[in-house]
Amino acid sequence: MAAITLLNPKAEVVRKTEALSMNQSAAKGLQDVMKTNLGPRGTMKMLVSGAGDIKITKDGNVLLKEMQIQHPTASLIARTSTAMDDITGDGTTSTVLLIAELLKKADNYIIEGVHPRLITEGFTVACKHAMEVLDSMKKTVSLDDKETLIAVARTALNTKVESKVAEVLTQICVEAVQAIKLPDKPLDLHMIEIMTMQSRLESETRLVRGLVLDHGSRHPNMPKKLTNAYILTCNVSLEFEKTEINSGFFYKSAQEREKLVASEREFIELRVAKIIALKKSVCDGTDKGFVVINQKGIDPVSLDMLAREGIMALRRAKRRNMERLTLACGGVAMNSLDDLTEDCLGRAGLVYEHVLGETKYTFVSDCPNPHSVTVLVHGPTSYAITQIQDALRDGLRAVKNAVEDGGVLPGGGAVELKLRHELKKVAEKTKEKYRVGIEAFCDALLVIPKTLAMNSGFNTQEVITQLDYDAKENDSIGLDLQTGKSMIPTDLGILDNYSVKKQYIASSVIVASNLLLVDEVMRAGMSSLKG
Amino acid sequence: MALHVPKAPGFSQMLKEGARHFSGLEEAVFRNIAACKEFVNTIKTAYGPYGMNKIIINHIDKLFVTNDAATIVKELEIEHPAAKVLVLASNMQEEEVGDGTNFVLILAGTLLEEALPLLKMGMTPADIIEGYELALKKALEVLKTLTCEEIKDPRDEAAVLKAVRSSVMSKQFGYEDFLGNLITKACISILPEETTFNVDNVRIQKISGSSILSSETVLGMVFKRGVEGEITKMSGAKVVVYTCPFDIATTETKGTVLIKTAAELHSFSSGEESQLESQITAIKNAGVNVVVAGGKISDIALHFLNKAGLMAVRLQSKFDIRRLCKVTGAVPLPILTPPSKEELGYADSVYIDEIGDNSIVVFKLDGKESRISTIIVRGATENYMDDIERAIDDGVNTFKLITRDGHMVPGGGAVEAELAKQVRDYSETIPGLERYAAAKFAHSLTIFPKILAESSGLQARTALQQLYEGHRTPEGVNLGINIQGEDDKLIIDCHEAGILDCLSLKEWGLKFATMAACTVLRIDQIIMAKRAGGPSAKPPAQPDDD
Ligand SMILES: Nc1ncnc2c1ncn2[C@@H]1O[C@H](COP(=O)(O)OP(=O)(O)OP(=O)(O)O)[C@@H](O)[C@H]1O
Ligand SMILES: Nc1ncnc2c1ncn2[C@@H]1O[C@H](COP(=O)(O)OP(=O)(O)OP(=O)(O)O)[C@@H](O)[C@H]1O
Ligand SMILES: [Mg+2]
Ligand SMILES: [Mg+2]
Repeated sequence: MAAITLLNPKAEVVRKTEALSMNQSAAKGLQDVMKTNLGPRGTMKMLVSGAGDIKITKDGNVLLKEMQIQHPTASLIARTSTAMDDITGDGTTSTVLLIAELLKKADNYIIEGVHPRLITEGFTVACKHAMEVLDSMKKTVSLDDKETLIAVARTALNTKVESKVAEVLTQICVEAVQAIKLPDKPLDLHMIEIMTMQSRLESETRLVRGLVLDHGSRHPNMPKKLTNAYILTCNVSLEFEKTEINSGFFYKSAQEREKLVASEREFIELRVAKIIALKKSVCDGTDKGFVVINQKGIDPVSLDMLAREGIMALRRAKRRNMERLTLACGGVAMNSLDDLTEDCLGRAGLVYEHVLGETKYTFVSDCPNPHSVTVLVHGPTSYAITQIQDALRDGLRAVKNAVEDGGVLPGGGAVELKLRHELKKVAEKTKEKYRVGIEAFCDALLVIPKTLAMNSGFNTQEVITQLDYDAKENDSIGLDLQTGKSMIPTDLGILDNYSVKKQYIASSVIVASNLLLVDEVMRAGMSSLKG
Repeated sequence: MALHVPKAPGFSQMLKEGARHFSGLEEAVFRNIAACKEFVNTIKTAYGPYGMNKIIINHIDKLFVTNDAATIVKELEIEHPAAKVLVLASNMQEEEVGDGTNFVLILAGTLLEEALPLLKMGMTPADIIEGYELALKKALEVLKTLTCEEIKDPRDEAAVLKAVRSSVMSKQFGYEDFLGNLITKACISILPEETTFNVDNVRIQKISGSSILSSETVLGMVFKRGVEGEITKMSGAKVVVYTCPFDIATTETKGTVLIKTAAELHSFSSGEESQLESQITAIKNAGVNVVVAGGKISDIALHFLNKAGLMAVRLQSKFDIRRLCKVTGAVPLPILTPPSKEELGYADSVYIDEIGDNSIVVFKLDGKESRISTIIVRGATENYMDDIERAIDDGVNTFKLITRDGHMVPGGGAVEAELAKQVRDYSETIPGLERYAAAKFAHSLTIFPKILAESSGLQARTALQQLYEGHRTPEGVNLGINIQGEDDKLIIDCHEAGILDCLSLKEWGLKFATMAACTVLRIDQIIMAKRAGGPSAKPPAQPDDD
């Protein structure tokens, strides 16, 4: 009887080999679910929430997060993998597969009586060497190398959405990242806003060089479309506000009151007049337009005055949009209208209103040099939109990683095959007992090309044997998913992120080692023992 | 999260209690297909002019009698996830096009059904999807060449009527000419010069009583409410619109009147009144004879308005005010100032009328290009009028499509038959497994003439035989099912018979249907969480009030 049941008679416990096999089977179960995800030819999963909402995905991360896993081992693996996604944005599926495979290969040795500790030691050594090999395989890339960046984005996106849509998103991701990159500053993907519009088809998703506000101008007679426009961003109240202290008017006659009503408005009107004066000075005699975007309110009378001058005015813009607005268009966000000059104004090539159903959108687009851009996601259904959003996130992260890593790695299993052969050499030279661990690691790596082959419907055994053989002779060889033959990924532009590969190998080794060293699983508590 | 120490392996064991997991062909794909097939079988009998009606009682016990697919699926609240994918696609069709929702459902369902034997033969979903996509591309190409008529000028009443009546025909067979005329008139009169046609500008006002044949189109707006003052008719109306209440001005800051003597009190209130009166006189002097207010019109104001001989109307809804401004050309004024010339709106006449028990205010514009029109629908019951409204909606949407793209294709199953033929020919040129899927795509299209023939009680087999024979000749491209035909004339030239569909309707329909079918095919695993208990989270439907 386990000690814990003496201490707490209600505790549950499994021990030793039983614990190990429980971990094994959990990892295997998760692998079975996830393996059909891997690569561009992976299949879709449908998730139905308790309320009946549909989500369709191919993304390992989304899947693991939504699956509501309750098994302790499985949830440990799932959490590691999703944490992996939080860091690098990719590689969840590969992580799950590799962990399970490492456990499986280790088991073969453990059955023969090898102590798990030796295997984990081997894993650690292998992992250390693997990192060196990865460094040597890295192909450098910079922000201006559009071609390579496109290849990276395309590879990532093709694993998430169908290729036609992936092509559209690829261009968007690369252009967006290139637009927002400021010299000497880290890339901030928050500068890329993702807006969704449920209409048309996914392939109509596009990049707006500027931003899209989800409200309109609130006045029927304001212009709906302006080209070559000045943008005044301000945070100035253009409506009557009650004073903070409790004040009141005293009047004796109706005339007097009329006067009060008028003077109440006067200082607001002065503010509006300032805007109009500036508009006249910059726009009169040209074909330029003028747009006011205010974080505070604009009352109907002021709107009316502005509308008469052909000014488009938006009120109550969201605060974060104000920040992004000046980044996108240039200019300064004004907190007072006292010293307005042309320099305070931003520019946009095209400002227009778009009505979709009940919602109005205002596009501030074609900004000359935007440091903040918007991706406008189209899709016919909410599940399609979510899918595109998730994919975009992955695509953007892939480009960002590539820029920040300063390098990329060949995909299609090339990394895994190369590691396998390099580590085999290491194993051959090792006299220590932990050699078995390195060997197990080498075998486990094959899971990636194997699964890729399986998902493409090839005869796995045949394809992998040939591939493994080819990889021994050549340097970086990957699997061509169309033909089942070997190919050179760098030539075909199938590139993976360096940091993703690095992270996924390291995480897998850590989790697999931890699980191998577990000899007891216990649960203290009262709940029923079933399951 | 409560973690267990489980003993048995297996993936379902790892999920939260109550969750279900289906994977692979047998469990996921086949079941999905079966569910979609089941669903589409119920809905397909509602297709076409002789489509059957369905009676639906929705979750708030509202009764519907209709053959409008969009309404049926909306009220049925489909729960099966795969069927829901089809429903979402048809919702998109409804939003993008406004008609052809049943077409999407039936095609998507049939594509799935046709995929089944291929899957059982061992083709992978990916191959089938590829085949379907090839076939779709071809079908879209062919579709463009099948245009039999082009409406170049959406103002051409005769041409537009032809298109509109076809779409109404499938909902209210027998009334297509009457309703078609109403719709055409309503739409053309408000077609703007430059911007796009907005379906919201054709209003429908349902007033129960009388019969459908007393429905009429009014150019201008109709509001279901009375006037405030004594004057009930004004022709040559000059309208001023205030968004504020019509009353004595108040300051935003709280005001206090300082009054010391009774005399001052008297002079204040009479001063206040005379202030209002002089305002009203000023308004009148600006040429106004109808005042519309967005808020309450106070009794004292009403008194002066009557005295000045101004008609007063109060509209509560902000949207009504906006629309009214659009129709009359008035500029809404936020405060009670006399309007300038440009701010005045114009209507030929404004009058109060009674239809049934309801009093309505009509802002009528005969001559000038009016920008909103209203179709007053009459009918015995709410249900019946709702169904007519849906038919009118389809007609108005058809008009919208025409303004964007005037290409028309023959209806009555003719395009589908021709597409089927050409896609089948094309499929034979595709190398590889995809050809079988493309051929199935072609075959799926033949379901439409089949349904039309079956629902009209014709000799379906003979009719279809004649149809395909006809389509073998180049002259036969426009042949479709003659649903009213006798035994000797089962097929007709739908172009000549004036049964036309919009090209863009079929285009979007094909796209959305294929997309939905492929989505369902792509899914090979389903993970369903335990159904949340409690009543459905949907808010109750908004009461129909416009
Ligand atoms: N066109 C391609 N040909 C061959 N292999 C490819 C191709 N595109 C991607 N791959 C491979 O597919 C793998 C990535 O698959 P996928 O993105 O589905 O999984 P993941 O990155 O592990 O997890 P996640 O679900 O988080 O994205 C990588 O090993 C990559 O090299
Ligand atoms: N008189 C007719 N004879 C033959 N076919 C007709 C006739 N009138 C309409 N049709 C055909 O009926 C079809 C339209 O049917 P219906 O309106 O029921 O379906 P839908 O437009 O797909 O769905 P919904 O209108 O419910 O959104 C069109 O293809 C049209 O060609
Ligand atoms: Mg990935
Ligand atoms: Mg229809």
